[in-house]
Amino acid sequence: MLDISTWFNDLLAGNTIFTADTLGYYWEGLVTTTQLVFLSLVAGLILAVPLAIMRSSKHKWISLPIYLYTYIFRGTPLLIQLYIIYYGVVFIDGIQESFLWPVLREAFYPALIAFTLNTAAYTTEIFRGAIKATAKGEIEAARAYGMSQNLMMRRIILPSAFRRALPAYGNEVIFMLHASAIASVVTLMDLTGAARFVYARYYAPFEAFLFVAAIYLCLTFAILFFFRYLEKKLLAHLRPQDA
Amino acid sequence: MAATPTPLEVRNIKKRFGDTEVLKGLSLQAQKGDVITLIGASGSGKSTFLRCMNLLEQPDDGDLIVHGEPIRFKTTRHGREPEDWKQVVQMRAKLSMVFQSFNLWAHMTLLENIIEAPIHVLKKPKKEALEHAHALLDRVGLTARANAYPAQMSGGQQQRGAIARALAMDPEVMLFDEPTSALDPELVGDVLKVMHGLAEEGRTMVVVTHEMGFARDVSSQVIYLHQGLVEEAGPPDQVLNNPQSPRLQQFLAPKY
Repeated sequence: MLDISTWFNDLLAGNTIFTADTLGYYWEGLVTTTQLVFLSLVAGLILAVPLAIMRSSKHKWISLPIYLYTYIFRGTPLLIQLYIIYYGVVFIDGIQESFLWPVLREAFYPALIAFTLNTAAYTTEIFRGAIKATAKGEIEAARAYGMSQNLMMRRIILPSAFRRALPAYGNEVIFMLHASAIASVVTLMDLTGAARFVYARYYAPFEAFLFVAAIYLCLTFAILFFFRYLEKKLLAHLRPQDA
Repeated sequence: MAATPTPLEVRNIKKRFGDTEVLKGLSLQAQKGDVITLIGASGSGKSTFLRCMNLLEQPDDGDLIVHGEPIRFKTTRHGREPEDWKQVVQMRAKLSMVFQSFNLWAHMTLLENIIEAPIHVLKKPKKEALEHAHALLDRVGLTARANAYPAQMSGGQQQRGAIARALAMDPEVMLFDEPTSALDPELVGDVLKVMHGLAEEGRTMVVVTHEMGFARDVSSQVIYLHQGLVEEAGPPDQVLNNPQSPRLQQFLAPKY
């Protein structure tokens, strides 16, 4: 701890790089990254719940389109998806005249769309696996106690599946945070974008990127602790005995 | 004829899995307060028969009448299925089932397990459901375990909890599917004691079991199944103490 703080103080004292100006860029980047990741995760999660239920359907014509969607988005690099949406959107006929253009012209929204669709695909598959792993006996008990399909989904299958999915979903959140670094390639000033800017301006790769790496590490730890807390609360039923 | 309709009646139930006909026309009538035990070797169809009674398995043929109300069936290209699932859902709420492997909902505490269906299926007020649940927990001796999760309880505790969950529905008929078969021998007694008490207070029960002592002590009727047919049926005195068919005699004979 002491090492890090002295190292950090030295870094600040003897340099011309980390001025209020550049720190401002990093701050801006932090805000953009947080917004981008948070919004895409929330939207992805909202999409993933119904998609996972449809993906688990025993009717082929419901589950197959969802499978195709998740297969395509998990089967291609996020960067390519971002390119297609960011550069491709311009070529949609009439898009530049439409009311959507002021929004889509910005790099932020195409990135948000790409990230949302990507994380929704992964999250759908995580949830589907968890839904599928619901104990058969618990479903049978729900049926035997007069639950309708909807009630059973709402009260038994989903609450049990969400809990099972929690550790895997925590990884997906961290993965999304790190994947968000590629947003900088479409001119977005996220954390990585800020670091690239500082690097280019001062030609100081270590300072610029080590600093941003440290910020990512802190964010990752915050996510880890949040999920550890959630798991402790929600997975109590898997622990053998309360202390 | 009394004013209250027969709680459960099944007539001529047939069921096949692929080429194997597992139930070849089975009937049963449970009057109020009856304790009917189904016995037989494994593969005789007794569990399947029980599961047909609340339609966890769909019978291919036969009638099912719960509390005087016949369940309506229709035939589709997938086979026979209930015409109205709402009717099935209502019917199931009247017949609660206790499973061999307990099947408590793992993400809920025991108390939550007990109040779940009364609140969300029967639409009981929460306060009332909780009061009832605490009384039932007391009755099965699990008051101290109310906030434990199923994984934190022994098999015997889980099964007694499952019985409390079944009782919380105020069922017309309780269906027991080999409730003690998955338990360690020293835990069987606690569960049988609870079931004994239920029989004594006049609960209508259909019990699939291998516990001959229980069948002898509490049944009003014992049905011995063999290969999907009733081989012998009657009061326990007659069926268990004076079996007529050689197969039942052999089934009941000491194994060692």
